[in-house]
Amino acid sequence: MMRFVLRRLAQVPLTLLAIYTLTVLLAWAVPGNPLENPEGPQPPPEAVEAMKARYNLDSTWRFYWSYLDGASGVGALRDALAGRDRTGPIFDLGPSLQYRDQTVGGIISQSLPVSISIGAAAILIALVLGLAIGIAGALRPGGWLDHLTLSFAMLGVSVPAFVVGTVLLMVAGSWLGLAVVGRWGTPQGLLFPALTLGLPYAAYVARLSREGMLEALASDYVRTARAKGLSPSRVVLVHALRNALLPVVTFLGPACAGAMTGSFVVESIFALPGLGQHFVAAVQNKDLFLIIGVVMTFSAMLVLFNLAVEVMYRWIDPRTVRE
Amino acid sequence: MTRLLAPLLVLILLAASALVADRPLPRADLVILNRGEVSTLDATQMSWLQDFRVAVMLFDGLSRYDLDSPDLTPIPALASSWDISPDATTYTFHLRDAVWSNGDAITSRDFVYSWRRSLLPENAADYAKLFQLIKGGREFYAWRTRALADFAAGSYPDRDAAALSLWNQTLAEFDRVVGLRAPDDHTLIVELERPTPYFLDVVSFVAFAPQHPASVRAHERLDPRTGAMVTSPGWTQPGSLVSSGAFTLEAWRFKRDMRLARNPRYWDAASISIRSIAIPVIADANAQVLAFRSGAVDWTSDITPGYRGELVRQKSLFDAEHAPVIARLRAQGLSAAQVDEALPADPRNHVHAFPSFGTYFYNFNCRPSLASGLPNPFADARVRRAFAMCVDKAALTRSIRRIGEPEAATLIPPGSIARYASPAGLPFDPPAARALLGQAGYPQGEGLPTIELLYNSEGEHDQIAQATAKIWERELGVDVRLVRKEVRTFREDVKSGRFMISRASWFGDYGDPTTFLDICRTGDGNNDRGYTSPEYDRLLDEAARELDPARRFELLSRAESLLVEKDLPLLPLFHYSQLYMYDPRRVRGVSAHPRQVQYLHRVRLEASP
Repeated sequence: MMRFVLRRLAQVPLTLLAIYTLTVLLAWAVPGNPLENPEGPQPPPEAVEAMKARYNLDSTWRFYWSYLDGASGVGALRDALAGRDRTGPIFDLGPSLQYRDQTVGGIISQSLPVSISIGAAAILIALVLGLAIGIAGALRPGGWLDHLTLSFAMLGVSVPAFVVGTVLLMVAGSWLGLAVVGRWGTPQGLLFPALTLGLPYAAYVARLSREGMLEALASDYVRTARAKGLSPSRVVLVHALRNALLPVVTFLGPACAGAMTGSFVVESIFALPGLGQHFVAAVQNKDLFLIIGVVMTFSAMLVLFNLAVEVMYRWIDPRTVRE
Repeated sequence: MTRLLAPLLVLILLAASALVADRPLPRADLVILNRGEVSTLDATQMSWLQDFRVAVMLFDGLSRYDLDSPDLTPIPALASSWDISPDATTYTFHLRDAVWSNGDAITSRDFVYSWRRSLLPENAADYAKLFQLIKGGREFYAWRTRALADFAAGSYPDRDAAALSLWNQTLAEFDRVVGLRAPDDHTLIVELERPTPYFLDVVSFVAFAPQHPASVRAHERLDPRTGAMVTSPGWTQPGSLVSSGAFTLEAWRFKRDMRLARNPRYWDAASISIRSIAIPVIADANAQVLAFRSGAVDWTSDITPGYRGELVRQKSLFDAEHAPVIARLRAQGLSAAQVDEALPADPRNHVHAFPSFGTYFYNFNCRPSLASGLPNPFADARVRRAFAMCVDKAALTRSIRRIGEPEAATLIPPGSIARYASPAGLPFDPPAARALLGQAGYPQGEGLPTIELLYNSEGEHDQIAQATAKIWERELGVDVRLVRKEVRTFREDVKSGRFMISRASWFGDYGDPTTFLDICRTGDGNNDRGYTSPEYDRLLDEAARELDPARRFELLSRAESLLVEKDLPLLPLFHYSQLYMYDPRRVRGVSAHPRQVQYLHRVRLEASP
């Protein structure tokens, strides 16, 4: 197991490097000058050139290497070896070009915990809700409960978050009398955004676990377990569930990465200080460092969650370990 | 199976951590909504209104504006008095005994340090031009720009040492050429390039407030590649920011909120009654209005168009009910804001539309040929005048903006600068416009290419462009194509002259006509129109040399009449109004001055009846 994890971890930097290269090339192609206020007075052209040089924006190639040098920690290591004083952080993700007083590292470290909390709550809701209705549906295929759960799954996947969010906002505000907008840090400020974000995931989990459960229940080993006289709940929850969970676990990797790196829609509806808003705003402002910062954060989380999923696989189903 | 519970437990812990780590703070005395997240608190880097609004709370300059006076008279702040030489070229400021929020004395050397930062090209200060009013400022800026270019191109065995030596040379050069001296801790002598009667007004602008040298220096470093003195962000963060003004920065959570606390060391602390100010960021425009209505917010600006029309309509009904009282109060010389404070309590009176110091206009490309190489019909001033004279501006503000903004015939909002007489501008006269177009060789629009109107996709520019295009098609018989672009692409196109007609706006920075008129000067960095008129430049130059204020304003008024009556490099559409929401029975002392400077930390809060 350890060898497997280490081998996979060794691949992570290569994957990230490829994503970084692609991101720089794409972000570079976004038109407009990020150092300029589109309205209002303009600094003289020589000053703009000097600013560009300062942030290495005058050459793609130099930008590519200098950012890599700072962000990977190589620059800090070199400084440390040479005995030079260094004021910045070890992994320097650069400044924000639009919000001059912020560093990308600072922005991400402030907003990522918020997104992780909402994402974790959303995944919890998705698992509890999704598994419950998925399994319930699979026990009597074709029954009314099954139809009900299937329609829930269909609805959950197809209704967009801005509709769910707005409806929940109305429910919370008008019927329950709860203030949920901009109430980050309170239970209702977490619950409603997490519900909005979690519902589509719940729908997926329901579908996947229903399929998995149906397949497992029809297999020989479940028949054997039943023949041994085990109680139905034990058969379903211990013997069949283990196999039925495999597709759900596969889905969880990207789902966790997606949910925990923020959602622009959910954050705008509930006025949340999460990471998702920066994906959109950074591109609009051509805030190069921030674009790369959020994309790399997302990619790193995706890669790590996928690794975690593979580890979980081995826990659930030791058959997958074939070195 | 228990193994499966471990990841679930992790999820629960992660979700719950938010409830523990992020408790909401208690309500501040004053809660205001700004236009958006503050971009920077470094005065050298600022150019957004939302930045200035917060900066005035944190930083005092030599002087500040008296918001109750009609021409925003500068009054003493960190300087207790000043002497001006008879020819208005030397200003001597006498600093009072004031301290920074960390206890350090505020000295005249702090001003020299801060103003020098604005004159360093590597800081790309948007307002560097204002600092170039100081004698030698322009020369120093150009010198350093050249020196940096040479340094970047040159090769040195030890670039760190070479950058340091260039920096020391720069400091010496600054002291040699720039007319800024601090003979002792309490005296600052400023020599100007030429007589500048409005220099006190400029100095009251928060971009001229000092920064705390020791804390900025801790974040400065010389870049061995470019030779530039680079300031890294960090000194403007809570805990590091040392302020000279009425408040200190308590907390700043990016795109979330900012919290300020009263600065007990402020020299004028006795005049500040508010103890804490919160500035939350609410991105959604509807949520902003709802937050105000729920009482969570005391003051907000920039109300979303969806609410605006109805709010202003309700307000005008309210005003109509109280018309006699309002007329009487106005006759007593009360400002619009003071009148609102005197009227009976009514939620309809929570919205306030005050004139502002900005104008919405269209640029005509005045270059002889278009970016495509084709001849430019708008190079002919008669065509520009024809296009300008047939636009029914009153209809635009009435049916699209719907907040009673005045239609514009001039670039400078009339009445915004005391004693300046605005020219009349061109009348609305479609038949005359058609005749002009005929004289220019395009009778009924024949022979004109398809006219392209470029604008950015934000705001209501779309509706305004559609309405204007319809008017031109109807009145002049021309074909108009609307070109809508995302703001940064739009900006690139305008800057490089790739347009025929483009949307624009301008807000003044200081109380002199040149804050508007300079943008049409030949070669000015903000002259997007490519307009060149030797006569216009000559009038501005002559005004710059003129010592008599009345005569000077007359020259500037002649220059403006050239813009808006004869040459029309731009077509003024309307003057902006500034919309605020606040309860005038609770928040008192908001300024209605067209310059729209606000010292919100100086308002008086009264218990709501």
